[in-house]
Formats: sequence, C-alpha cells, structure tokens
Amino acid sequence: MYINLQPLRAWILQLKNRNLGFLSDSVQTCSLGCSTNSPSARFCCYCERRRMTIRSRRHWHLRASLFLAFLLVVSPLSSTIIRAQGPNAPEADKSDPASALSQILRLERIEVPGGAELITVHARLAGLESTENDNWVPLVSILRDTLGDNDTENNRLRYVWPLTYTRPTMKQRLAAAIPFFYARVENKEKLDKVPPPAIDLAAPENEVWNKIFWVALQNILLDTYGTPIKASTSSYRRNTSDYRRSHIIRALSVLALYQAVKGESVFTQSEMAAIQGRLLLSDKTFGGLVDDSHLQNYYTKKTTQTRDERGHNWELLRQRAESESLYFEPLLMPDGSATHALLWVAKRDLVKLQGSPRYSSRFLNVANPWTDKRLLNWKGYVETRYFDSENQPVDSETPGAEAVEMIPLGLYGLDNPKIPMLLIDFRDSYNPKKREMSRRVLNDVTHNMLSLSKFGNLPFFLGRTVFDFVTGRRGMDINQPSRLHTYSQLKLLLALNTSLEPELRSEVSGRVEKISLNPFENDLHAEANIATAQYNALVAFAKDPTGLAAKLDRDRRAELTPLEHGGKARLAFSVLNVLSFGKYVHREELAADMEDRLDIARRLQYHTSFLQQVAKSSAEIDITWNLEDVRRSIRFIAAHGSDARSDAAAATAKIFARTRDDETRRACLDGLARIHSSKAKSELLRISQNNEVDKALRDLASEYLRGAPRVQPVAATVSGAPVITGQP
Amino acid sequence: MSVLNFPAKAQRRKVSHQCISSSALRLCVFAGVVLFLLLTAGSSLAQTQRIVIVKCDGLPYDVVDRYVKQRDPQSGKSVLPWIDHIFYQRGARLSNFYVRGMSLSAPSWSMLETGQHLQIKGNVEFDRYTLHSYDYLNFFPLYAAGINGSRIDMRAVEVLDSLGLPMLSDAYPHNERYTTYSIFLRNPRYSTLQRSLQNRFTRSPKELFDEWTMGFEIRSAITDQLVKELISKLGDPKVHYLDLMMEDFDHAAHHNNDEQTHLAVLKEMDSVIGQVWTAIQKSAEADETAMVLISDHGVNTDERVYSQGYNLVKLLGSRAGGGHHVITKRRLMLDYAIKGVNPFVPLITTTTPDTYYLKGESTAYPTAMLDFDGNERASMHLRDSDLNTLHILLKELQRGGLSDPVYRATVDEFFGVIDRKRADWQKDLKQLQNELGALDRAIVEQRKLWLAQPKKFTKEQQDAGLDDASKRIFVQLDRWQTEQKEYSEYARTLKNLLTLSSEAFAPNKVRIPDIIPQMSMGDRNTIYELQNYVAGVGPNGLVANPDGSLNLEQSFVHINYFSLLQGVSVRNNVQRGISNRPIDLIATRLSRDLVLPLINERDIDPDVIWVTAGANRQALILSRRDANGELSLRYLPISNLSEDASGRLQFKEISWQAGLPLQIFEDPNLNIPGADRTAWLSQWHSDGEWLQALHKTHYSNGLIGLQEELARHDIERLSTTDPKLSEDERLMREYARRKRELVEPDMLIVAQDHWNFDVRGFNPGGNHGSFFRISTHSTFMIAGGARTNVPHALNIETPYDSLSFVPTVLALTGNLRDDSSPVPELWERGFRKFPGPVVKELLPDHERPKATANGATVSP
Repeated sequence: MYINLQPLRAWILQLKNRNLGFLSDSVQTCSLGCSTNSPSARFCCYCERRRMTIRSRRHWHLRASLFLAFLLVVSPLSSTIIRAQGPNAPEADKSDPASALSQILRLERIEVPGGAELITVHARLAGLESTENDNWVPLVSILRDTLGDNDTENNRLRYVWPLTYTRPTMKQRLAAAIPFFYARVENKEKLDKVPPPAIDLAAPENEVWNKIFWVALQNILLDTYGTPIKASTSSYRRNTSDYRRSHIIRALSVLALYQAVKGESVFTQSEMAAIQGRLLLSDKTFGGLVDDSHLQNYYTKKTTQTRDERGHNWELLRQRAESESLYFEPLLMPDGSATHALLWVAKRDLVKLQGSPRYSSRFLNVANPWTDKRLLNWKGYVETRYFDSENQPVDSETPGAEAVEMIPLGLYGLDNPKIPMLLIDFRDSYNPKKREMSRRVLNDVTHNMLSLSKFGNLPFFLGRTVFDFVTGRRGMDINQPSRLHTYSQLKLLLALNTSLEPELRSEVSGRVEKISLNPFENDLHAEANIATAQYNALVAFAKDPTGLAAKLDRDRRAELTPLEHGGKARLAFSVLNVLSFGKYVHREELAADMEDRLDIARRLQYHTSFLQQVAKSSAEIDITWNLEDVRRSIRFIAAHGSDARSDAAAATAKIFARTRDDETRRACLDGLARIHSSKAKSELLRISQNNEVDKALRDLASEYLRGAPRVQPVAATVSGAPVITGQP
Repeated sequence: MSVLNFPAKAQRRKVSHQCISSSALRLCVFAGVVLFLLLTAGSSLAQTQRIVIVKCDGLPYDVVDRYVKQRDPQSGKSVLPWIDHIFYQRGARLSNFYVRGMSLSAPSWSMLETGQHLQIKGNVEFDRYTLHSYDYLNFFPLYAAGINGSRIDMRAVEVLDSLGLPMLSDAYPHNERYTTYSIFLRNPRYSTLQRSLQNRFTRSPKELFDEWTMGFEIRSAITDQLVKELISKLGDPKVHYLDLMMEDFDHAAHHNNDEQTHLAVLKEMDSVIGQVWTAIQKSAEADETAMVLISDHGVNTDERVYSQGYNLVKLLGSRAGGGHHVITKRRLMLDYAIKGVNPFVPLITTTTPDTYYLKGESTAYPTAMLDFDGNERASMHLRDSDLNTLHILLKELQRGGLSDPVYRATVDEFFGVIDRKRADWQKDLKQLQNELGALDRAIVEQRKLWLAQPKKFTKEQQDAGLDDASKRIFVQLDRWQTEQKEYSEYARTLKNLLTLSSEAFAPNKVRIPDIIPQMSMGDRNTIYELQNYVAGVGPNGLVANPDGSLNLEQSFVHINYFSLLQGVSVRNNVQRGISNRPIDLIATRLSRDLVLPLINERDIDPDVIWVTAGANRQALILSRRDANGELSLRYLPISNLSEDASGRLQFKEISWQAGLPLQIFEDPNLNIPGADRTAWLSQWHSDGEWLQALHKTHYSNGLIGLQEELARHDIERLSTTDPKLSEDERLMREYARRKRELVEPDMLIVAQDHWNFDVRGFNPGGNHGSFFRISTHSTFMIAGGARTNVPHALNIETPYDSLSFVPTVLALTGNLRDDSSPVPELWERGFRKFPGPVVKELLPDHERPKATANGATVSP
C-alpha cells in the first residue's frame, strides 16, 4: 500500500510546482529502494517506508487533498503505468545496485564530422526539474577524437563540458568583482552559446600557464593600483576559479556514478582514469604538468582518500549523535555511497531532556536542542517514524511500534577532510553561511585589505600557520579549505537522491541556495535549464561541419606542432599563447597526410606508454603480462623507429632486462636497433657488453650495432607461427 | 628429523666452543649418528638452507585467495600474479590457517615468532600495581631511547627475552640474519630511515616535481628501502634468515572497506613479493631458499558495512558505568587533539565529571584501565573494589559530619575490609618484599656485569652481535631499577595500610596517598566484586544498620559489570543486519578450586575460562593435559554464574542449545563425526579435534582461542619447581611470573559482528581482535627452490593454527627433531619443545616411512 502512496505524495508536490516531473522519481524511489541488498540500499528502503507528516500548512493543500481523493481511485494503476512509460521499461534487476543505478544514468554518443564523438552522461534528476524528456538532463559531455576509426589506440580525449557550467551574466560578473560580496545574485536565463569547456584533457598544461600568467599579472600589475582594484580583481578571480572547480567536482561525481554502472562502457578503464585524474589535478596549480602515467594512481589514491574521509565522518557523526541522544541518518547517492547525513531530534526526547546541560556542540555545530524552546513549538518540517522498545526503527505495522515525531536539526557533508561539514542548520540559516564565509573573509581581509602574505611577513606566516594547524587539527568547522567540494556534492545529491521526501528536498534546496557565496552560481532549477540548453547548443555545434569539426581540425593541426618543431620553438609558441591570453595557438598547415601522421604519433605514444607501464610494473614481466601484447607494442615501435623517442628505447631496454622469454628479448633487440635515438644505441651497447646476458643475445646485440644481424630475430604471427623479420 | 640436516648446518656454522668442550663420549655418539644418517637417509634430507619470510599484517587468506583467482582483463593473468605464480603454482598454501588466541597483532606475532603458547596478551598491557604500560606497537620510544643507548629492542622483544622465549630469527647467529621493522624488532637501524628519505628525493627532477604536485608518500619510501636492503642481503651467502614486514593492508582495511582500496594495496604487496622472489631466483642459493608469506590475523571488513564504534571509556566514565577516571594508552580522538602529535604517547587519563568520590583526582586515582587495540575486543581493568571501599570510607570519615553510630560503623567496616584481606595482602606483601630483595641483589650483579663490559667492539665482535648483547645488559639494569622503584612504592603503601590499627586510628591524621596507593589498581577483582562493584557512596550517604554495622547495600553504589555491559544498546544503529547491542561476549579466568565443587570433573588445569553472553547463555571452558602434555578442552554450558561474598561460586549446568557463547551448536559449518551434536560437544576433545570441528564456524577456533588468551601457560623461565635453582633464582622467577600475572585484566570484552571499541579515532573500514573466523583466518603460504622439496601447487586444507608456524619452519630447515624439540644447538639458545604440530604436508618425507631421529641424539 505504501508504495502507491509515494507517487501520490509526489503528485501533490507536482501540483504545487506546476510540474509533473517528480512523479516518476517517486515511483523510482520505491522500485530502487526495495530492490537492493546492500545495507545502504536497505537503509534507503527503510527511509522510504517511513511515514511522513507534513506540518507546514499551505494554501494549496486543500485543493491538493481533494485531488488526492480522486487519485486514490486510480492509484493502484499509477505506478504500473508510470513505470511502463519510463525510458528503461524493463524492470531493474532488484538484486544489483548497478542495475538500479542504470535506471537514472545513461550515456549518449553523437558522431562528430571529421572523426570524433561527443559522449554525454545524462541523469534522470529528482531535484533539477526539466520540463521535458521525463527529467533526463544532460550533465557532462566529453569529446573524443577517434580519427574516424574504431581502434582505441589512436583515440584522444579532448574537452570536458560540465553542462551546468556556463558563462556568467554581466550582473554576475559585476557582483563577483565586489569585494566581500558573498551571495548569489541571479540566474542566467539567456542561453544561446556553446558552453565553455572546463578542461582540455589533451592540453592540460595550457591551464597551468594560464594560471601562472594571471597570478603574475595580479601581483605585478593589478595589485599596484591600490586596494580597490586589488580586492576587486582578486575577488573576481577567486569566484571564477571556485565556480569552475565546483562544476568540475560535480562532473567528477557524475562520472564516478557512471563508472559504477556495470556493463559495457564507452570509456576504457585507462580513459576513465585519465579523465578523472586530470579533473582532480585541475585543482592543483601545477596539476596540468603531471605526467599521464601517474593519472591512474593519483585517481586511485584520491578515491581511497575520499572514501576514507567519508567513512570517518559517517562514524564521527553517528557517534556524536549517539552521545547527544540525537538521531543520525545517512543520505545516499544512487550508487549507495553516503555523501551527506541528516541529524534529527525526537520530539519526545525534547520533553524528556529539556534543559539538559550536558550537550556538546563539538563537531555538530548546531545549538543545544535541549534548551531551545523553539523546538517545543516547532512549525517547520517534521516526520513521523516508528521505533521499537529498544529505539530501533521499525515499520508502523510492527507490534508495539511507537510513533515518534522527528525534527531535522542539521544536514552535513561527509566528503570532507577530518569533520562532517555543516551545510544546513534548520534553525539558523546563517550558521553554515558564517562558517562558509570564515575562510574567505580571513583571506580577503589579510590579502586584499592588509596586503599580508605568508611569504612576505614572518609574524603573519607564523600566526597563520598556527591558526590553520589548530583549526585543522582540532576539526573546527571554520577556516576549512574544502567546503566547496561538499557544497557542490550536495547539489548533486539533491538532484539524484531518490529517498528524500519531496518536501524535505524542497526545503533543503532552498536553504542550500542561501549559503552559496559565489555570485556566479545558479540555482538548481536554473542549472537544469542551463544544462539542457547548453547541451542543445553543443549538439548543434557538433553537427555543424564548421563548428566542432572545424575546432577539432584546428586542434589536430596544433597537435602536429611537436612533430614539426623542437623544444625551443614549442616553448616560444607557449609563451605567445600565454601572452595573448590564449588567443594565439600555433598550428601547422593543413596537409593531406595529417591524419596518418597523427595516427602514427598517437599509436606510438600509446605503445610507448604501455611499454613504460609494463617495464615499471614488475620485476619479471613474464609473470604479470601477456607477452604477446608486449611484443606487439615493441614491434609497432620498431616498425616506426624513426618516429619513436628515447623513452620508448628506455622502456624497451628495461623490458629486455625483465623478461626471460627469448622471443620477447629478441624483439626488444630488434626494436632497439630500429629506434633512431642515441639512447637505443647505448642500450644495445650495454646489452652487448653485459656478461649476464646469454651469449647468443649479446652477439645479436653486437650484430645490430654493427649494422645487420647475422641471425634474424624470430617473431610470432598472430596465429603463433614463426615468421622471419629483418631490418627495415 | 633435524639431525638429518645437521651435517649440512655443521658445514656452514661454526661449532660453538661449548660444544667442543662437552664430553668426548657425547661427541662420538653424535658423530656416529650423523654418519649413520648420512649413509641411510640421504633422500629425505631437508635442504632448505635459507628462509625468507614476508610478514603481512592482517592479510586475510580469503581476500588473497579471491583476488588470486580473479583475472585481469588486460593481461589475462591473476590480478595478484606473483602470489599466484609463487605460492599457488610453485608452492603450497594453507587454506585453513588460523590465529590461535586473539586476532591481534602483538599476541599473534608473539606466537608466530616463538612457536610457544601466549605470554603477551594484548597490544598494550598494564601492570595493575604500578600502571606501568607495555605498549608493544609504539616504535618511537625505541628510536628515541636508542640514540643514547638506553633501549635496543622493541618492548615485546624485551618481554620475550625476560621470559626466555627466543624468536625464530634468534635461531640464526647475529650476522646470519636480516630483520626489518616489526613490533618484534631487535636493534633499530637508523640508516634505513635515513636512506629511505634520501632515496625518496634522489630521482629525476620531473618525477620529483610530479610527486610534489600530487603529494609525497613517505610511508612507501621506507618499504622501498627495506625491500632494497633485503634484496641486497640476498646476495650475501652468509645470511640465512631474512624477513620483511608489510603493514599496509591492515592500515588500509581499518580505514576503507571498499574492494578498490584493498586491491590497490594488495597489488603493491604482490609487486614487492615479486621483487623479492626474483631476487631470490637470481641468487646463488635459490635452490635452497624457501619463501614464506605469513600474516598474523584477518580483518573483519565488508564492502557493504561500516564498522560501528562504541565508546567504552565514556560508559565507564558515566554514573551508570561507575564514574571512573579511565586510563588508556591511546589518546581518545587522537586525530583531533593537539596533544595527539606527541609520538611517545604517555598514559592518557580521561577524567570524568561523573565521578562519585574522586573529583579532581583523576591523575592520582584513576580507577579503570582499558586496552581496546584491535578494536573488536577490549581488556578492562577495574581498581580493586576493596580499595574503592577503603578509599570511600576514609574520605567519608575525613569529611566529618557523620553521626556517631555511622562513624563507628564506618570505622568498623574500614578495618573489617582490611582484616578480611589482611592474610592475602600480608602474604603478597611478604612475597613481594622477598622478590624485591632478590631484585636488589640482581641489580648489583647486573651493574657489575655492565661495568665489566668493554666500551669498544671490534668489527668481528659487532658482527657477532656482542655490542648489542652488551647494550642489553644495560637496558636490563635500567629496567630493573625502574621496576624496583615502582613496586617498592606500592609495597610501602600496602605496608602502611596493614599497619593501621583500629585502636589508634585517627582518620584526619591519615594521608590517603600513604595508605591507598596512587596510580594503582591493586589486586584483580573477584567475580563477586565485579558483580557487586563498589563505585561510590550511595545516594543517602553512609547508612548504619540497627545492629551498628554499616549497611553495605545502601551505603554504596554497586554495579554488576556483567549485566551492565551486556545490557548496552544504542539508538543510532543505522545499518540493517547489525545488532544494536555492541557487546557480544565477556570472558574471564576463574580458579579451578572455585569450580571443582560444582562439576563432575577432577583432573583439570588450574585455570577455567568463564564466558558469558548473558545470564542464561554462559559456558565454562575446561582444560586438561595428558601424560604427553597434550591439551584437551571441554565446553560446559551453564547459566547464572555468580559468586557470593565468601567466594563460593554458583551456577547451573544446562544442556547444549542454540544461543550459547560462540554459537557452536547451531552453526551449520560445525564439522563433527556423527550426527549427535550434543554428545560430541559434551565430551573432552584435544585442541586439534576442536580445531577440526570448529574452524569453519562463524567463531572458528574461538573456543581454543579463549583458553589460549585467558589461561596461564607454564614456561621454563616462570617455573620454580627445578630443585637446582638457588633461592634468588627462584625469587626472580616468581618475580617474572608476578609481572605477567599483574597484566591480566579483570575481563575481556568482545564486540558483536561489525562493532568495535576504537575510541582513538574511527575504523569504519574494518577491525579485528575478535574470534570470528573472518578475523582469525590468516595467511600461511610457502614456496621454495628445487632442493627445498616444498611441494608445488598444493592446497593444504587441514586446519592449523599459529602454534604450527615456527616448528614447521624449523623442521623445513632441519632444526627440529621428530619429537618437536629443537636441535641441541637451538636448545642451547633457549628454544624448547614446541607445543604445536608441524604442518606435515610440507615436509619432504610426508606419507613416507620416517627415518626416525628420536633418541638418536642425546636429549638436551
């Protein structure tokens, strides 16, 4: 019975919002929550089973109630009908969370003329309401340059567009430049342009030079014009940077959720790691310069760290709730991970413990509920839940179940170092905002007003270091560096979490907007529209031969630069790029063989990276790798030895040392002989002089050094039959 | 067995001077036997000449096994290719290898290091009389004190040395072994730390820049350096024992429960194992080298569940919990305390505002101590309830305002308590004073010995470890002096208390610290005291009975700790399937004499283990030994155990049923011969039979583990029965025994599944310490070169526990006789007969007629 009540409640809210989009989500809530076996999902299921009493009285309530009566007549059919109308009509596999997740995330690929594809993750949102497509909203698009074939070896990931990320309006820009102005101003409504990408994955270093240029400009030029200009420009830059970061964080979360969807993925594992690693590194000043080979490890490390923090905060908040006789409730992302949590107080306890002096607000950061008279006459949101004699939540039908009215006290973010971050105080809207502002104010005053710098003022350096250490170590919810992350995550949670009661979701999203510090931010509803409109513009741009295809062509010509020019010339081009605010990008002339050259260059890079990974990974590669794959890469490099670099030679030589397989060792020698670099020759020489190497191989290395081997190396064909390969 | 290999050992080791000087007859017999065995039993020679042990803290077998069997889609190989290659394809693995005792690092490694029954019972131990703490996991004090030479070994090694229990590495001369960092580390190498930091920064500028951008990882730098050193040592033919400790999996699993994190750590470990194996294969001794992968416990981690913490310190500090000031050796909320940056970790006192009578005295009079390491269990000490009573009464007398009848009743009760305890206390005081006298004399001798030590050592002497041995003389002296001071203070206070007389008693003239020892828990509480623990003055103050005695019921707040702990429940239990009661079991040791009148058993060991999961769900674990010393155990279900004030126990034997502690009866994985569970379970069985029957159950070998953990195990160094002992030697042994007995807690508290008692921080990823199979199921794998005869691709399903590890390694290296005694050379070094069975499936002569060595050598 209760399953059918969920859509009915949702329909009431649709009436309120003049939007029928919620209905299908509520149905989703029931089908998802009850479908999984994981504890988190079971908890979700428990959340859905609870009964809600909405205390707030609204003028439309009476009309809604009348409509409810009508709906009751048809309610038994409603969920069936709505499910059948959903885009994923086949019911989800109830035992698999990933399957449930696939009900709210899907992927779309659009071919781009010229040999590329635009890949977009769409989500079916609960909070961000769109007026079409049954609440499916595009969230992140990624451009993959495939050079027009299906081979993954020559693919190159390019731009990432978080589709809610947009160019600000003039009013937003002006507000962002006002020092100490920490509030949203308006939503962007006029949307007719292709969205700006947040990052170019193929050229992450551009972002670094750009940052350095702006820092230099700020310090050398703008700061000298006095406090007003300094404060204004710093504030603008800070807001710009935070705005971009917040959307990158959400893009990351969306991709992580997508990754949790099992089944065929359009991104390879290494592509996914590259996207996520690069997005994570975009937070670091020099992140764009980090070598691609570290991306996988960095992503794994950061993911582990995030999960660690989440688990710790989950437990910290649960234990603090227990100590203070409050109730803790984790809020789950669709993949079952708890990124936020609610803290409740039971009305019955308010009476029992009224006046209790023992309350400690440490880590909770909300006022003492036991001395707060407002809670005794609470007019805000209340839910009714049922508990057994041991205070354990149960269904209302459970014999002896006691109905308990619960009042929400706070909502916390768990993806945060050290402590759960208070994001909403249901009794004091400005409490989190003040905490949110604490670090900004401190930075703005000291840097923009007092011109104090850690590097130029020793007393300030010491004082600030001690202050940062104490607030950080003690886990004080002021001066925290990472609020942006948690805040950004909450917006996504509100959009994707299906277990929240609509009334509570509405209340939370309203309060979230109030704590936003950034004038560039748009609210949840506006973002849904922005995402959809920008996506449409992007698709039109992608389909236009003079649009994305032309841009792609320009990018490829720029990609040819390292193949044509040496290091000094490339450095000069980079400087020109920075000094022209990114307007000047050096590109080679269009040539007929451009794609072929890029194809070889990318494949060489792919195989070199693979060999480097192999060489670095194990003391003896025979045990850990499929040697046929290794030999294939060596042969490819050998076949294009004139274009191969010394790092390919180094990796090949290392592999020679780390394999006992004769065929692979011979392939290595052949490869080294064909790579046109002094490194390759020196490695061959070293092998030829190494007495620990078999004499036959030493002799072969010597032969190669002299010019042509007496005995040609034996390689295997795909079928395994030996073939003779000689010098090119 | 071992003598078969002794010639080989003899070739490469110097015969000690002592052996040469032994009787000619003994030598002739020995040589004859060696010659005979060489001629007749050559085929069964064990050829393992070098052993490399990779120790992985908390590496669960099931997790390793699952990942070894998982294929990497890119390479088509196992995701742990080296473990697969070395141990699954070219070696042997024990798929049912368990921790014996608690699944906790210090105790478990102590057993894996010594092959003897447990003497170290926790990661932290507290001396009840002096609150001296044995913090076995903290490296910093050793490294700091090692600089000025006042320490040379980790605390756990010092304890083992004092008990005469050599470790496996001690079987090899100083210059024939290479050991890395572990909680059983001898002699820290500062150069390793230095080089690891140097190596971290000696790399290409680009690599350095990238790492700086992403964040330096210093932790892995030490492991990298250790591996580098170990590989370098593998090239030294002199070195025959090498070990490497890796703790990363344990750390990761405590924090994170997700597979991605676990797999990432395991892949790194797998890679290190591959490096070591490759280095072994490249060495000249590859054919005679065996490599072992061993872990001390598993981890109770589940991707779908966060482990939930329960704060026992807070409970003990509450009014309901007794209002205790609680001592711990781990700082509460360590990561949130500024003081938490202190790496030396002094005793931490958590002061409670709810104390009944010790306000403002938390640093002088803590009344509870808690060790919660491992986190699925906690050991709890409470101050002797009688000391509480005396303390409360004296305070009330000093406070004044008592009516005459109450005053008289209070004084009477004060001396009544002393008189009731007088005999025991006097006996103990006398014994302690005698022991301290012997200690004084030992200190004098030790000082002489230290002064006689050379101040400089030649390179040869250093290689032989003589400089370290000399430092150990000083460390022993220093420790004895400290202990002498601490115990003397306790003895002084106790003596003062016993000299009080009621006739000349003037409460206000008594200084409480002079008669109630500060920073001391006093004697261990009896069951009666734990069930009727005096925590404070009753709500109406002291009350006299009409007959002039003190009304004990009304005058004091009494707490039954068994009921209290088992009644704990929480409201914030947000994960379905997890119990809202954090405490599963409570166990403690009883004396045989208390139990014998109530059971139909006679020849049982002195220690009986009582385990309770509630008033109606309790059991006694009885043990006994046969003529060969083989241990047998019996599980006796009981209910409602209680003790009265006179020390008489009461309980009711009940039938086997579901819901008893360890949930054996109802476990579907119980493996017993025949269908009659009640009949089989009601009988005595050897520990091996119990292991066979229980190891796959939810609590696995918990029954054996509880006995191992809580019973006292005799060893030579603690035995005073040898008539050859001088009086001082006997007293020093009694002193050593006292020190071990004083660290015994009042009770062991075991957490429910997915609960933990970590108050230092949070371990949502997972924990260990309990007796659950998931926590005790650990890893033991071995592979060896062609001449080691270690079987290939062998999965040994027979269950073994950690008592088997050392004897098995010694057997493989030819250092063990068939009767599980060490060869004479090791006997000389302090090794004794091993109680655990050798993993016979690993031995080359398994299933073949044995060339017996029994009696072939003169028994040491």
